[in-house]
Amino acid sequence: MPDIKNADELFKDFKAQSVSEFFKKNAAMLGYTGKIRSLTTLVHEGVTNALDACEEAGILPEIFVRIDELGTEHYRVTIEDNASGIPLEYIPQVFGRMLAGSKAHRNIQSRGQQGIGVSGAVMFSQVTTGKPTIVHTSTGGKYIFTGKVQLDVKHNVGEIVEKEKIHNKWGWRGTIISLEAKDILYNKSRYSPYNYLRMTSIANPHAQITFIEPDGTRILFERSTHTMPKLPKPIKPHPYGITPDDLLTMSGNTNKKSLGQFLEKDFVRISASKVAEIGRQSGVSMKMRPDKLTWDEAERVVKAFKSMKFFAPPTEGLRPIGDEEIQKGLESTLSPEFSHTITRAPQTYRGGILFVVEVGIAYGGKSGKGGIEIIRYANRAPLIFDQGGCAITEAVKSIDWKRYNVRDVEKIPLTIFINLVSTHVPYTSAGKQAIADEEEIFAEIRNALMDGGRSLSRYLAGKRRLYEKRSKMNTLLRYVPETARALARLSNKEQDTIEERLATLITERYQIDQVEEDETDEQ
Amino acid sequence: MSNDVEKKLQKLAIEVVSQIDKKKAPYVEIPQRGLSNVFFDDEERMLKMGDKTSKRSFINIAHTKKFMQTMLVSSYAKQLVENNKHAGIRELYYALKHSIGKGKENTFEDQSESNLIIEDLERMIDVLREQLNLTADRRGFIYGDIEIRDGKDRFNASKLGRGGWAVPGNIEDIEFKKSNVDRILVVETAAMSDRLIEERFPLDNNCLLVACQGQAPRGIRRLLSRLHGEMGLPVVVFTDGDPYGWYIYSTIKQGSINLAYLSNTLSVPDAKFVGMTMDDIETYELQGVTEKLKDMDRKRIEEELKYPWFKHKKWQKQLNKCKKMGVRIEQQALANKSLEFVAQDYLPEKIESRDFLP
Repeated sequence: MPDIKNADELFKDFKAQSVSEFFKKNAAMLGYTGKIRSLTTLVHEGVTNALDACEEAGILPEIFVRIDELGTEHYRVTIEDNASGIPLEYIPQVFGRMLAGSKAHRNIQSRGQQGIGVSGAVMFSQVTTGKPTIVHTSTGGKYIFTGKVQLDVKHNVGEIVEKEKIHNKWGWRGTIISLEAKDILYNKSRYSPYNYLRMTSIANPHAQITFIEPDGTRILFERSTHTMPKLPKPIKPHPYGITPDDLLTMSGNTNKKSLGQFLEKDFVRISASKVAEIGRQSGVSMKMRPDKLTWDEAERVVKAFKSMKFFAPPTEGLRPIGDEEIQKGLESTLSPEFSHTITRAPQTYRGGILFVVEVGIAYGGKSGKGGIEIIRYANRAPLIFDQGGCAITEAVKSIDWKRYNVRDVEKIPLTIFINLVSTHVPYTSAGKQAIADEEEIFAEIRNALMDGGRSLSRYLAGKRRLYEKRSKMNTLLRYVPETARALARLSNKEQDTIEERLATLITERYQIDQVEEDETDEQ
Repeated sequence: MSNDVEKKLQKLAIEVVSQIDKKKAPYVEIPQRGLSNVFFDDEERMLKMGDKTSKRSFINIAHTKKFMQTMLVSSYAKQLVENNKHAGIRELYYALKHSIGKGKENTFEDQSESNLIIEDLERMIDVLREQLNLTADRRGFIYGDIEIRDGKDRFNASKLGRGGWAVPGNIEDIEFKKSNVDRILVVETAAMSDRLIEERFPLDNNCLLVACQGQAPRGIRRLLSRLHGEMGLPVVVFTDGDPYGWYIYSTIKQGSINLAYLSNTLSVPDAKFVGMTMDDIETYELQGVTEKLKDMDRKRIEEELKYPWFKHKKWQKQLNKCKKMGVRIEQQALANKSLEFVAQDYLPEKIESRDFLP
């Protein structure tokens, strides 16, 4: 018989375990599954935070990532940015609070794993090592603040367990977070932080990223543009993109006095007359207080949405990377022989959710990985895992690349960049690493790929023509000595002179043709 | 003569070299071969070559090898003429065949390649193969009372035994001294020639027998043309009664498509045709010894029906009759009557009554 414990003791144990219990339940959703993936997720959260901080402050990002191996499957991850720094009192909110993100309830295009973000990393560190996360930050003023942050899941807050300030004699500005974690592993596979940073660099050509691997190797992903991306604007949701759960969340937070007013003001494309129609169709009173909405009523309203016609949402909320910037990203990272980028016009899926597909195709140089390499992004954030179950991968596979002059799909040095931009990215699962098979999105990706394929096809055909020209030239040159010898005997002239001139004639002609061909290719 | 050929060959090369010096893509102009560049000259009654030419350019990948081959053959011919040597066309092929550079490719893969280039060269610089000191395998013989001088030898072609005199490839240096014949009878097959010789047909009928052994080779054609021109001897042709036999006659009479450029020196427009004809089958009751036409024969009939030089209504009649009857008749089918029949009845009757086709 075990000893009977009193309630306080039990509760103490319960509290002590709660953080790790919570984490275990949600690990998959947060991206912390597997040793390699967990490490990549840690880097991802830190880098995403850093990039967002820089962009919001209008500062060209300079990001520094360092991974140190401290023991077997035990590492320290350090991430530094040059953003505006965090005032001390906000540190617990930024690093400690689950669902703290200001974006969680806003309909805005964002790169992060909405709401969890860097606090998930703090939590992972805490769960695997029991240690707090160290944050150094300065706004560029007199002091550099250092705080050790821990999570209290029960109260959904972070707490600074130790703080310190030192004189900022370097005039440094920015934030460094440093955390330890166990049960993780560094390698250089497709799933590694290395590939994550490489992909991040391609999609964020305005960022400079320095990476120091555990063995001390320093890798620089250089900035290739000084143009800052425009910040995404929050836009109100469109009725087609809404679930009853979304509607309840929104109606609980609104300051509007009636359901009708809430629908008209907090959504796009819902007019007063549409409100009346929603009322008729759903049988829900438009005069009721929004926060009194029940699940059943919310379902009826959403059902009414689906049966009605609304204008497509306005497109200004989306911020694609843009052709030119993708091209710069591809060129600085892959140094391809040929690249082509396509940013498609905005479309909607499920009737009202805006999205834009961007595709970049890079051939030659460091492109490809023994065949076609697909690099997937959602709102600029690399999607590294679950490649197999992703609509992007399916779309690439559905293309018959042989039709585009690709002779050997298994060998072609080709990297295909695809960025899905949307206010609401339809992920297949909570892991947020794969895009769901939405018909319109799949079709748009295919269209963009075919566009890119045609351009690639033209390039490869030109290359093949060049190859054929070259082999023609070599054939011609092969007959030169025999012809020259016979001509010399017949004409009683110098064989060497004839041979040399004939060879020169052929090579020059070939080069003229090559230039002409290049020019026509340009058109 | 040889000096002239040398100059023509040299001129050809000098033009090419000067194109190269001017950085122009070198080419040579070659009269086109084939039916498309051949026409029937009604006045001269022979096939003539048209004036269509094609460019053989070194930088056209499809022509490059042929261009090189043309220069190799030209260069070899020049050496032959310079050194006063003769070579067979097969010897030329072996003399020039070697690998190009380090590769597996040869200058010539097959003799047919060098043969074509020789014909091209003849047309390009308008000289005969014989003038380039190139000779082909000879074929054909003659038998009859005619005196010939060949180099130091002088002989009568009826006193060389039953085999007659084998005609060499190049007969330009031959002299005809004296003849006791009234006409020339050209016979398609050697076997029929042997039959006629055994039956003393040439001697009894004052006739020079010329066995062409299939399609008449150039030596035989040149010989016929000279004998007709120099000795005024009429030419009568005796072949199988089928589209191939008739084409042998046509070639002797008015030249061939391939050698249309040589018709002036090789053809005998006055030649006549004695047989076999489709009518002979009925006249001599040879229905039992005909052979069925094959697909190839029918195809050949259709082609010949369209040639302008077969447009004479008597020939159209023969061709159509052959098509309709679906049979052919060989010379040797006359043996069905008796071995002597051809020499004692068929030929004398037809020649005496001038039962000829034009």
